[in-house]
Parts: sequence; structure tokens; C-alpha cells
Amino acid sequence: MTTLRNVAVVGFAQLPIVARNEHRMATEMLYPVICQALGECGVERDSIDFQIAGSTDYMDGRPFGFVSALDVMGSWPARQDLHLEMDGAFCAYYAWVRMQAGDCDTALVVAHGKTSEGEPDRVLNLQLDPYYQAAIGLDPTSTAALQASAYMTRTGAADRDLAAVAARNCAAGMRNPDNQVRTAAAADELMKTPWKVAPLRTGYLPPVGESATCLILAAEGKAEKLCDRPVWMHGVDHRTEMQALGARDISRSASAQLAAQKALAMAGMKDAAATDLVELSAATPVEELILCEALGLNAKASQPVINPSGGPLCGHPIMSTGLIRMGEAFRQLSGCAGTRAVPGARRAIAHGTQGHCLQHNIVWVLGTERRWT
Amino acid sequence: MKRPVAVVGVGQTHHTSRRADVNIAGLVREAVDLALKDAGLEHKDIDAVIIGKAPDMLEGVAQPEQFLAGAIGAHMKPLLRVHTAGSVGASTAITAVTHVASGLYDRVLTIAFEKQSEGNAMWALSPNMPFTPPLVAGAGGFFAPYCRAYIARTKCPPHIGPITAVNARENAGRNEYAHLREPMTFEDVMSSPVLWDPIRYLETCPSSDGAIALVVASEETAKRGPRKPAWVKSGYSYAEAMWVPGRDQVSPSAGRICSKAVYDKAGITNPWKEIHTAEIYVPFAWFEAMWLENLGFCDEGEGWKIIDRGEQKFGAHLPINPSGGVLCTNPIGASGMLRLGEAALQVMGRAGAHQVEGAKTALGHAYGGGAQYFAMWIVSSEL
Repeated sequence: MTTLRNVAVVGFAQLPIVARNEHRMATEMLYPVICQALGECGVERDSIDFQIAGSTDYMDGRPFGFVSALDVMGSWPARQDLHLEMDGAFCAYYAWVRMQAGDCDTALVVAHGKTSEGEPDRVLNLQLDPYYQAAIGLDPTSTAALQASAYMTRTGAADRDLAAVAARNCAAGMRNPDNQVRTAAAADELMKTPWKVAPLRTGYLPPVGESATCLILAAEGKAEKLCDRPVWMHGVDHRTEMQALGARDISRSASAQLAAQKALAMAGMKDAAATDLVELSAATPVEELILCEALGLNAKASQPVINPSGGPLCGHPIMSTGLIRMGEAFRQLSGCAGTRAVPGARRAIAHGTQGHCLQHNIVWVLGTERRWT
Repeated sequence: MKRPVAVVGVGQTHHTSRRADVNIAGLVREAVDLALKDAGLEHKDIDAVIIGKAPDMLEGVAQPEQFLAGAIGAHMKPLLRVHTAGSVGASTAITAVTHVASGLYDRVLTIAFEKQSEGNAMWALSPNMPFTPPLVAGAGGFFAPYCRAYIARTKCPPHIGPITAVNARENAGRNEYAHLREPMTFEDVMSSPVLWDPIRYLETCPSSDGAIALVVASEETAKRGPRKPAWVKSGYSYAEAMWVPGRDQVSPSAGRICSKAVYDKAGITNPWKEIHTAEIYVPFAWFEAMWLENLGFCDEGEGWKIIDRGEQKFGAHLPINPSGGVLCTNPIGASGMLRLGEAALQVMGRAGAHQVEGAKTALGHAYGGGAQYFAMWIVSSEL
């Protein structure tokens, strides 16, 4: 692996995840988190070289939702800018690539989704190919249920195993004030919740929620000036797969596995288990189990800690879920994770995903020390 | 840019109102296959895929790159989906260039498309937003006041829009891929109805189905390739806020800043003299004069005079849009990449019947949003 430029997360802010920001438009959700993240770095917008936003028109219920976001990103005078129709974790990736190209030293990464503008299950049906899969009315819950069935059939995992994963996330999530769900639930109780789509129960799925997020990245030389405890990028990779559910083994995630291998290799690590914590964008317990398998982790081991934030089961604001995983890794490694801190954490994995059944996965490896000297 | 980047393959579909013979995936795949063949590469040679298109509501598929992943050969590869309004085709290609420039990737496939016949652009571009009365006037209704402001400001005479449209159509006649190629006279334009004052029907871009794909690659790959590459000397995308007091919508500062950035990086001090042809984003005829000024080819108020003197015509001093441009071909999401791809073809010397003689340096340009997003590159025949 060639030597790359050291880049760090130096700031992060998120709006607490709620079902609906009744009195805030998408831009009004975004503005305070941008101010907060810049404020924590102690800089004005003018000192950031590049900005990138993640959102999707269909979640905003209008074309060009991201154009309005320009107004709250401080885009005056004109800024070097890009918008991806993707989760913020992928936007952070492109900002990182630009820094590797030497095109910028600092970047503002934002993500938002005004999920409450519509019904996500109906909207996200429209992600599927319009000829075969969308037409039969599949939504993300039903495709996740097909995935869960496939996984349970292959591995013999039972309802109780899913309940245990959900219960563990709920217990951890109580300590995260940004979560939408902050109530503990025992596995036994969760197993009594009704089916949403079998084998997934309502207790195994996140409620509809929305948030806005802002992450600030800076290259070595700038990062130390913006943050007392920058969190350095050690490795990253992302991979997608074909969408068609019949064209891939949805009981596994080949793309997450490959992305993890590549990201760990870049980080100079052999094993994801050598990290202290892992934040996964798993919207169901089965996705968490599939991702652990793809990353080569034993989901039942004590190290690394999986989703100390409570994970997406305690709050799943579409477009921000992956960026929040990076933000949580930053909070943990920079010592600002409050009561959910993993003691002595020095390395973390943050994962983001896009599409039905973990179609596209990004894996970040982060650490308290610089990767390259 | 940390290292040189080149365009090594270009592929585009024939653009038309309705490609009923292919679905969305088929249309995109057609451009991808042509670009790979042009580069002498196969899917296995491609390290990453960057795709762009305009609002998903144009076709009614949310984040369609997810269902297209197989058709574009992105399975088990990195894939990014860009969307920066009308400028998206250009910003997508520039995103691909950054990937190669970073040293992380050697060969990147970049694609832009729109299949407008799947939906209704006027509907998709007329959002009904809270607290804002819907215009239901599409992009033309939005941009017509900008054109009127330009006319008022520069005393641009009323024939400039029509002669720009006629010239674009004449140029498209030489481009076998263009959508609208039928000859058109000044009288034809003048007798077509005014859609949004001052924009007439024949001063307006069409709705097209079409796709374009480029392969961008490192110096090493480019020098090994079967053809002479187009070297990307510079590429930037800039955007500015909408609601800023004093923002100049006629000649936006984002366009000025972006063009200065690409000229500076490419070592261009006098674009009028040093650039041999430019493909610029002109969806409504009056914008050609506006962008000539915004891009620094002339002083303010002089853009329409260049057109009046015919200095932007094919064979004249600075041929603008020798392909016929957006006025003759507009698969919205692809239109920006078509500008960049056509600029590349010119410096490769492979633009066919619309080849500008001696074109060594070319500008590709696109804009979008409320004239807020700008993305451009300078390509050259020399490294």
C-alpha cells in the first residue's frame, strides 16, 4: 500500500433523531448542525475549501432538494461543491478522495433527509427496478424480510437470536441522547411484538425518523488546528452489487466483505476484531448479523463493541444513518461519547449502506493515531 | 491534481425524442459499450464507476444507479451517483477525473444519461413547494426573466436569440448523434410561438433520450491506449446560494469563479485567443451570449456582438457548440457530459464532420439549478 495523505474527522454535529421535525423545513434542520460543527472547530465557513451534500430528491418529496441546502451551507461567495444522491458516509468518501488528489485540505460534509414528508416504505419501493421488482410492490421492509428468511434458513438463526440483537441495541441506545428510541426492551418482550413482515417483528425494526448531520474533514497540518483530538482515517473502501435480489446471495454481503478487506488492508490491519468498536448501518438485526459475518466478527464476542450508540434500530434517519456511524466513531475516539464511551477506544470501524438488502456498502477504519508517517 | 488524467474513450447514443427500443438500462449500456470499445478496454479493466443524472423524478425511479449497477458493470466495484442539477453531467466527469488524479484509481468509467420519454420534464421540474406559489412553467419559465434582464442590461437586439438558434441547428446538421438536425431558417424561429417571453419555441432545447459514457485514465494507461487521448488540464465544480441579496443571476459569480479556476490551472490567460472551441450549456438561445461574457471570452455587454458578427460560427474565430449543443440535443442529465465529451473529441481530432480545424485546447461547460451550479473542464491535445 502506497503512502496516502493523513486525513481526520475534526468535527461532527447531528440533530437528535425524531419522527418529525414539525416546525422545521429540511434546510432549517441542516442549518443548526452546520453552525454547531463549524463552531466546535472554531472556524467560519470561509476557512473550509470544499463542500459536499448527501440527500435524495424522493425523500424530500421534490426535485432539487439539495439546491436549497446551498443556502444554509454558507455558499457565498461560490464554493467548490458537489452533491451526491447518497448517504453522507459516501459523500465523506469523495471529500477524502479529493484530499488525496491534493485538491482541498478541508471539507464540509452534510446529509439530510426529510423522511416525514412521505411514507419511506412506499417511496423506497421506487428504488427497485421499475420493470420487475418495483412493480410487485416490494418495499424495504419486505425485501429485508426476504433477506432475514434467507439468512435464517442458511444459518439456522432463530427468532430469539434476532430478539437478542435488537435488545442489545436498545439497551445501548438508552445512553445516546440523539436517539429516537431510548427505551430498554428485553428480548422476551421484543419476541412478543407483532410481525411487520415475517420473520421481522415491529420490535426488530427502527421507527421512521429524520435528522440532519454535518461532519468536517481536514488533512494533516490543518486537522490539528481545528481539533484537539482529531480522529484519523486509516482505511476506507466501498463496493456495490447488482440490485436484483435473485442475482445475489442476500443472506450474505459480498460487497461489505470486499470493502472491509480492502479498508482493513489500507489500514494495515488483518482483522476487524482488532478494533475497539464497530458502528454498523444495520436497519434490522439480521443485517447486523450479516455484516458481522462479512467483517469477520463474532457478533457475540465482547470486543469490538458493536453499535455502542444503539445503532440504526434506535434511530434510522435515511441519508444520515451512515454519516452518524462515522460521527459516533469520532465521538468515541475523541473522548466525547458521554456515558456510552467504550473505555480506552483507539480504533473503530464505521459502516454505511445504500439500497435494498445491503446492496452497496462503505467501510471506514478510523483511529486516534495518524496512519502514515 | 496530483497526476495527469486523460479521456481515453468516448461513447454516446444517437439522441432522439423516444428510444422505445431500449429500456433505461439498455440505453445506458449502449453508451457504456461504445466508450469501452473506444478505449480498447473491457469491464474487468475498470476500477470504479461514477454516474450522474438530473432529478430522479424525470424517469420516476429513485436513485436509479442502484438498479443500473449491473448494466453499467459496477458489480463489486465502487460506484458514486452525482446530482448537481443541470450541471450534473459535467460535475460527474470531473468527479471521475479526481478519482484518477488521486492515484487511487487508474481507469474510471463515468456515465450520464436521461430518458426523458419515461416521464414529463415539465412536471418534474415544476415543484410544488411549501409557501411558494408553483410556477408550473418548467425551466423555461424560470430562466426567461434572466434572459429579459440580459436584454435590458446590454441592449441585446431581438434577433440575437433567433440567429443563435439557427446557427446551433446548422451545427447539429454536421453531428450524426444530434437529436434535432432538420435545417431551420430565421423566419422559422420568428414564426414559432413565444413560450416564455422572450424565448420562442424554436429557441428552446428539446426533451431527449440519450446517454454518454467516458473512460478517464492515468497517463500510463492513456499512452498505452489505441487512440490519441484528450488530456484534462483542469476541472472544477462550483456552486453558490440562491437567496443572496445582490446575486447576479445574469452573470453569476460562481460561473466567473469556476471559469477563472479552470483557466488559471490550465495556464490560460486569454481564453478568447487560447481556446480553440468551446461546448457550453445553452438550453435557451439567449444564454449563448450570456455565457460568452460570464466565461470571460469578452467584456460584459459584448457577448451578443460576437454572435452578431458571427465569430462563434463553425469555421470562424471561436466555434461555439460545433455539435449543435443543448439547443439540439438535451437528455438533461447527460447534456453536461456531452459538452465535456464533445470538447474531448475536438482535441482528439475525432469530432467527424463537426471537427474544428486545429482544435488543440477546448472548454467544456455546464450549469444548473437557478444558474447556481457550474462545472467545467479544459482539455488539450497535449499532455
